[in-house]
Parts: sequence; structure tokens; C-alpha cells
Amino acid sequence: MMDERSLGIARRLTISYIVASTAILAASGLLGVILRWSQAVPQARVGDNFWYAMMTAHGLGAFVGWGAFAVMGLAWWVLAGVGFPVRGFGLAMARVTWWLMVLGVIGVIITTIFMGFAASWVFLYPLPFYGKGNWGDWATGLFSFSVLLAGLAIVTWCFAILHTVTNRDALDSVSSSIGKRLGLAFGWGFLMPRTFATKVRSVPYPVIPLAVIGLDMIIATLPLAGLLVWQILQSMGVVGSASDLLAKNILWWFGHPVVYLLLFPAVAVYYWLIPRYAGRNLVAGHVIAVAWTVAVIANVFVWAHHLYLDYPSGTSQAQINTAMQPITFALVLPSALSLYSLAFTIYRSKFRWTPASTALFFGLVGWLLAGLSGVVNATIALDVAIHNTLWIVGHFHHMAMLNIGLLIFGAVYALLPELSGKALYSEKLAWVHVWTTFVAGMAFFGLWLVQGLDGAPRRWSVLPSQYDSITRISLVFVFLLAAAQALFFWNVIQTLRGKSGVATFDERGIPIPAASTKEWSVHAAEGALVLVALLLAFAFAVGGFFVGRETGNGGGGATTTETGTSAAITGNAEAGAEVFASSGCGGCHTLAAADATGNVGPSLDASKPTEALVIDRVTNGKGQMSSFDPSLSDQQIADVAAYVAQSAGK
Amino acid sequence: MSHTAIIITVAYSIAVVIGSAISFAVFHSTTRPLDEDRAGTWSRRETTWLVVMVVVLFGLLMGTIFYVPYGDTAGPNGQVVRVTGVQYAWAIDVPQPLVVGRPVTFFARSRDVAHGFGVYNPKGTLIFQAQVVADHEQKIVHTFTEPGTYEVLCLEYCGAGHHTMKSKFEVKPA
Repeated sequence: MMDERSLGIARRLTISYIVASTAILAASGLLGVILRWSQAVPQARVGDNFWYAMMTAHGLGAFVGWGAFAVMGLAWWVLAGVGFPVRGFGLAMARVTWWLMVLGVIGVIITTIFMGFAASWVFLYPLPFYGKGNWGDWATGLFSFSVLLAGLAIVTWCFAILHTVTNRDALDSVSSSIGKRLGLAFGWGFLMPRTFATKVRSVPYPVIPLAVIGLDMIIATLPLAGLLVWQILQSMGVVGSASDLLAKNILWWFGHPVVYLLLFPAVAVYYWLIPRYAGRNLVAGHVIAVAWTVAVIANVFVWAHHLYLDYPSGTSQAQINTAMQPITFALVLPSALSLYSLAFTIYRSKFRWTPASTALFFGLVGWLLAGLSGVVNATIALDVAIHNTLWIVGHFHHMAMLNIGLLIFGAVYALLPELSGKALYSEKLAWVHVWTTFVAGMAFFGLWLVQGLDGAPRRWSVLPSQYDSITRISLVFVFLLAAAQALFFWNVIQTLRGKSGVATFDERGIPIPAASTKEWSVHAAEGALVLVALLLAFAFAVGGFFVGRETGNGGGGATTTETGTSAAITGNAEAGAEVFASSGCGGCHTLAAADATGNVGPSLDASKPTEALVIDRVTNGKGQMSSFDPSLSDQQIADVAAYVAQSAGK
Repeated sequence: MSHTAIIITVAYSIAVVIGSAISFAVFHSTTRPLDEDRAGTWSRRETTWLVVMVVVLFGLLMGTIFYVPYGDTAGPNGQVVRVTGVQYAWAIDVPQPLVVGRPVTFFARSRDVAHGFGVYNPKGTLIFQAQVVADHEQKIVHTFTEPGTYEVLCLEYCGAGHHTMKSKFEVKPA
């Protein structure tokens, strides 16, 4: 079994992953608050490119830097708990993973927040090379390199996991063959006990999902690494463009399994911790091994469900998409069976309800809700109505925050005392945090589902105005959610500082609340409630302000400035050249002076329009040309008109 | 909301209510713990649950897979619209006025990055959408049922001006 030294190694690994990922949660969570705040309150609106840059950082930071990184770290402690020590090659890879991930996340933050890279976390090719002056090839190259580091962190972690779960002693494997040991780790010993024979016990359930994702993420990540290397080379001018559709397929070849990089290790934690709080073994039959075997294969053949609405003529994309609906449905099975097992493990048990176990339970509820909305997304006929709407954003926040996030919080409350040897600072703060996160999260993300069903587009820094009222209501829950996380950070910091003394445990290994801090925690909980009440009052006041402004006569501060007429604005041809380039005019029109060769609209060199005509067409549009009035200022329109009038035909 | 969105709303609401009820039942059951060990029975029933799930998912698959938007054709009576997406505008080429009741084929292309061609009816309901990439032509077929001004929004993130990428076209009574 595990010696003290192996336990110490796993303990330090898990703590290092948890501390780093929690810091990343704080940063990316804050970005998330600013994003929604900017959408809801016109006065707080940030610059468009900065909004999208923050969105890019928030997505990668919260999803990979927090969610994935945290459960990747918890995996080491789970494996130690079921008798699988991390050592040798596995340990070296686990340590390399930490550095690659931290450096990757720092690179992502620098290239987005400080260098303006804003192509979103999926950096849909070729958008990284169409920054239109907001970011350059330098930023694209560095961003791609940073994501490559995070991708390599995933690969090295997978090698470390595969090395650890194929440990012959820990598996009690009769055979020394690597294939048989891997089969045992996948749970095949349950199905074919003679082929995959063990001396004493069959594989512990938490090992199975870790082995599955350990293999799948290597298969999923390597093509993406190729795409990232291509982007780096293209940013340096070494290679030309790649195929858009191929790049999109490669992205989702990785982009879907990476969701399970969060879920499968989380399932391992559920399999390990829920039985502890229930005081009985995991209720699971051999059939669960069937489901995980389905997962290991299906997981890498479902990527095209992210491309359901790509079916261009002359490609086989439509056929690939249709084939992947049933495979995606098959992936529901591991989740459905796991939820069954975990629910029956809890059902009528002597379950000990603590903040930790409550968070785990809420995590299971979040998993169920996210799974149900996921089935909608997986169905092509239904996807048409919600693809790239805010419904999707609601779905994956249910998944990432209310399933994975609550699992991480629960695991931290359950395990921090045994990892650090220190008692949890405040049980009460933890109660407030867990309940507030679940309730506020349900409301906040639920409103996204509602907006999405109403057709609200996703990834819009400014939403069409009909969605504004719900966006403003959701702000209340955003603040509640953020305030609750502040309690979590405080609780973790104070615990690590040893404010509540040494940890003690009951007979099941569940931490006993520190008695000495009771008075403190009551005050702290009251303080938190006051803080929450103040935030709530403030949020309602903001809501009231907008309701008042929109319904009141005279319209208060909302005076629009319609004073300037076009006559008052003089166009600047030099500035106009930039507007011409950045607004995509050359995509449709030919203008030799700008090296533009578009042939959708009339050639400007041939028609030589006057300044006034350009202003009219750009402002009002004509025929197939749409109005640029929403995206360009009057000054910009005057500039581009001056430029076109002066340079056409030259 | 579109019909599809209404179906999703109703189905998801029912599923959430059932799911919540089961969750609460599991939560509440811990107030009356069992002394005997029934894990064996529950483990064996997991196979039944697997069969139930396979049947339900197969039903959903068979009930929906014939409604994919792929491979539609407008037929001889069709109308044709050419759509070009650029950062950040839609060029919509409607040669003759569109009328309700006759299928319309949209041939959509992008001049630069990936865009999403999302069409909203005069009431602001999202009625159909498809992705538009640079190196391929996307064909979308739709038959309009009501006249009015339709708005096109970009439904694939395409850069800092993504949210300004809107356009309009008219559909006239038959």
C-alpha cells in the first residue's frame, strides 16, 4: 500500500495544482463579472476589442486554467487514496505539467489583456490572422505558443496518469503486459476476468475514468498541437494559409474531448468521495465498465456535433455530422450510469451532510441539468434553434460551474484538512458559499438559457436591445455568485494560515469542524450576509435606475447627440484609408489604391463615386450593400468617403 | 420563439422538473437510512437502467434524425439569393423581390473568416441559421411564410465588430 513518502509526494502535487488553479479562478472569475457588467450597463461598457480579449482570457482561464487544472490535481490525491502512487516517470511528467500549465495561462493573459488578441478561446481559424489592426501576427504567434504550452501540459499529464494507473503492484495484475494492465485500468477485468486477471481485488472504480481520459486526451490534443504549430509558423510568414474547414474539424477534435478532461477526473472524485460521506461502497455493477469502454472510443468520434450547421456543398461534412448524432448519444451512457450509481450510493444511506458533501450533491444536480441541455445540443434538428445562442453559454456554465466547479469546491472542503493537516477555517462560511453558489448560479445561468431560447446571439459584446432587461436582472445573481466566491477564497487562505488549528477526522475520514472558531464563523457569516445584502441593494438600485430612465418622461441622461450634420465633418483621406482596410470594403469592391480586388459590388476605380455618394451608400446601404451606420462613426464615414473620392481610378 | 425553441422549452422544463424531484427524493431519503444492505439488488438493476436509457435515446434519435437541414433543394419554382459575409457586414444580393410561399436558396460564402448566417423574422424570432466559411459555398433552403423585413445577424464570432454585423432583406406577399 501507500507509504508516507508516496503520500507526501501526492499531497504536495495536489496542493500545488489546487493553489495555482484557485488563483486562476479568481482572475478569470473577475473577468467574467466585468463581461456581464459591461453588457448590462451602458455606462460601464468597455471597448469592443477589449471585451472580446477578456472573453478569450475568461474562457481559457476558467475552463482550462481553473476547471481542468484543478481536477487534474485532485486526480493525484484520488489515485493515492486508492493505492496508486505517483513515481518515477509519472512524477516527473506531473511536475512538468504544472509548469507548462502555469506558463501557458500567463501567456494567454499577456497576449489577450495586454496585446489585444481577441479571437475567442476557440480561435476559429483563420480569425487569428484577421485582427484588423486590433492585434498583430506577433500576438497570434505568442497566443498560439501559450495555448500550445497548455496543450502540452494536458499531454504530459496524460502520460503521468497512464504511467500511474498501469502500476502492476497497485493493480494486483497477474500479467506484466502493458496492454493487459491498461485493460485492467479501463475496468475490463469486470467483463473478462480471465483475460484481465488480478491476484486480489478488481480495479478501484475511480481509476477507470482517469485511465480513459488519459488515453483520449493524447489522441485529442496532438492534432491541435499541429494546428497551433502551423499558426505559429504562419504568424512568422513561414507557411501560408491552411484549410478553414479542416482547421475547424481539428479544433473540435480537441474541443469536445477537453470538456471530458474536466468531467472524467471529476467523476473519479465523485466515485471516491460520495461513498465516504454515504458510509457505504459505490453501488456499481459490472455494466459500468461497459459504459466506460463506450466512452474511450466514442469520445474521440463526436467532434462534428460542434459543426452541425456546417454543411457546405461538395464536402462530406453533412454525412459526418449525421453520423455523429448517435455516437454523441452513446456518450450519454457513462453519465447516465454514473449518476445512477452515485444516486443509489446516497439513497437511504447514513449520509453525512456537510458543506463538502452538499457541494458534491449539488454538483451531481448540476451534472444532470447540464446533461439534459447537452442532449438538446446533441440533436441536429434542435441545434438549429439554439446553436451559437446564449443557450449554449448557459449549458456549459451549468456544466463547468455547477457541476465541475461545485465538485472542486466540495473536494477542497473535504480534502484540504487532510492535505494541509489544518482544520477548515469556517464551516459556516463554507455553507453560505455552497448554497449561494448553487442558487445564484442556477438563476444566472438559467437566464442565459432563457435568452438563448429567445434567439439572443452568443459572443456579442453589446446585445440587441430586446435582451437588455434580462441581462440587467441577471447582474444581481452575478454579484451574488462573485461575492460567494470571495468567501471561498478567504476560507481557503485562512485555513492554509492555520487559523483554526490542527485538523481532526471522524471514523469515515470526514473532517470534524473546528470548535474553537465557532464565534468567529458566526461573525464572519453575519458579515458575509451584510455584504451580500449591500450588494443586492446596490444591484436593485442599478436595476431601478434603468427602469426609471426608460419609463420616465424626458428620458433623463439618455440624450443622444444628433447635433452634428455631415456638413460639419470634414473627411480625412489618410484616416479613411485605414477605415477602408479595417471595414472590409475591399472584400466587395475593387480599388487599386488600396490593393483591393473585390468583385461583389461595383469597382470604385471604374465608377469614381463622389464624396457625397460614398457617404450616402455607406450610411444607408443600397441593394446588397448593407448600411455601415451601426459600425462606423460619422467621422469615419466622412474619412472613408474622402479617401475613396480622392483615390478612385488612380 | 420558433416552434423548435418552444419544443425545447417544454421538453427541457419537464425534464428539469422530473430531475429536480428525483434529486430531492434522493436528498430526503437520507433522513430514513436503511439498515440492511441492498447494494447487490441496486447494482443488478443498473443493467435495466442501461437498457431504458438506450431505448429512450434510440427513440429520440429516430424522432429527430429525419429533420436535419441537410440536402434540401428548392425545386424548379425556387428563388435564389447570393450572400457574402465580410468582417463586419453581409452583402445580400436579391436579384428579384422575394415572395412568400416559394422556396429560397441562399448561396452563402465568406470573404475572410467564419461567419454565421442567422435569419430573424419581422417579430425578431430566430428562424434558421447556418455557418459560412471562406473556402466553401454553403447552401441553405428556406420557404418564407410571412412577408416583412427580415434581419440577418452574425452568429459566429468574427472579431471586434461581430455585434455590428447586421443586415436586412425584404420578403413580399405572394
